[in-house]
Amino acid sequence: MDMRFMMMVKSAENAGAPPKELMEAIDKLTAEQSKSKEGRLVTAGGLAPTAMSSRVRLSDGKLTVIDGPFVETKEVVGGYAVMEFSSREAAVKSALEFMELHRKHWPGWEGETEIRQMFEPEEYALDSGVVSRPTPRPS
Amino acid sequence: MMIKHSEDLKKLPKELSDAIARLSQSESPPAVLASGALAETAASSRVRIADGKLNVTDGPFTETKEVVGGFAIMEFKSKEEAVQSAREYMELYRKYWPEWKGETEVRQIYGPEEITFETGRMELRAELKHDKK
Repeated sequence: MDMRFMMMVKSAENAGAPPKELMEAIDKLTAEQSKSKEGRLVTAGGLAPTAMSSRVRLSDGKLTVIDGPFVETKEVVGGYAVMEFSSREAAVKSALEFMELHRKHWPGWEGETEIRQMFEPEEYALDSGVVSRPTPRPS
Repeated sequence: MMIKHSEDLKKLPKELSDAIARLSQSESPPAVLASGALAETAASSRVRIADGKLNVTDGPFTETKEVVGGFAIMEFKSKEEAVQSAREYMELYRKYWPEWKGETEVRQIYGPEEITFETGRMELRAELKHDKK
């Protein structure tokens, strides 16, 4: 069975908007990948600026709601994609292609794609009274 | 919804997982389109572009105290409802896992129908830009 990966694209919030050429190149890559064995897109989206977002934080037994903008990290998640691959290596290779498009079509942009395998609720192991964190399958 | 916490946590108490499961069995459960837990950063990678150069870095990633450990994509009528739902979720953690420390970040998701390329760059449609709700 294919492994699912969460790809999180992080960059500074003042990086500006992506050029149309980049988005067209990404659409083309996505279409090519959907026809191949690696990189089927499950779902993807862009996230609202942190200025329009909130956090609900638990610390020392207290709940606090904090409204954005969030400025304590230089880069924030701006978009994500859930994709299917046969291995972690294939996922990294796909992220490299995706970032190469950024390099080509958006010179000067700085940021990264973080590649994390994901596990759906039915994949979590239940044992005697605790839910274990999932163990990544060998890639 | 992105749930962030430090990576040195290991086990979710069963009382908490039971309470979370009950959320989805309530009379009007929130619409969850997708959810999942993310592998530890030790098993993850990053592809970074800076100064026109691409670099692949393997985890663990330790430069931030907390990392995204799980997420849920959910549908609500307003941002207020989304924040209220995150609050209820975090309340379960407070009750059943009091020593846990972390947060749920609530960010609206935009799909292709909410963006425009009128200016040659990707932008939110004008009517959404000033909507702070």
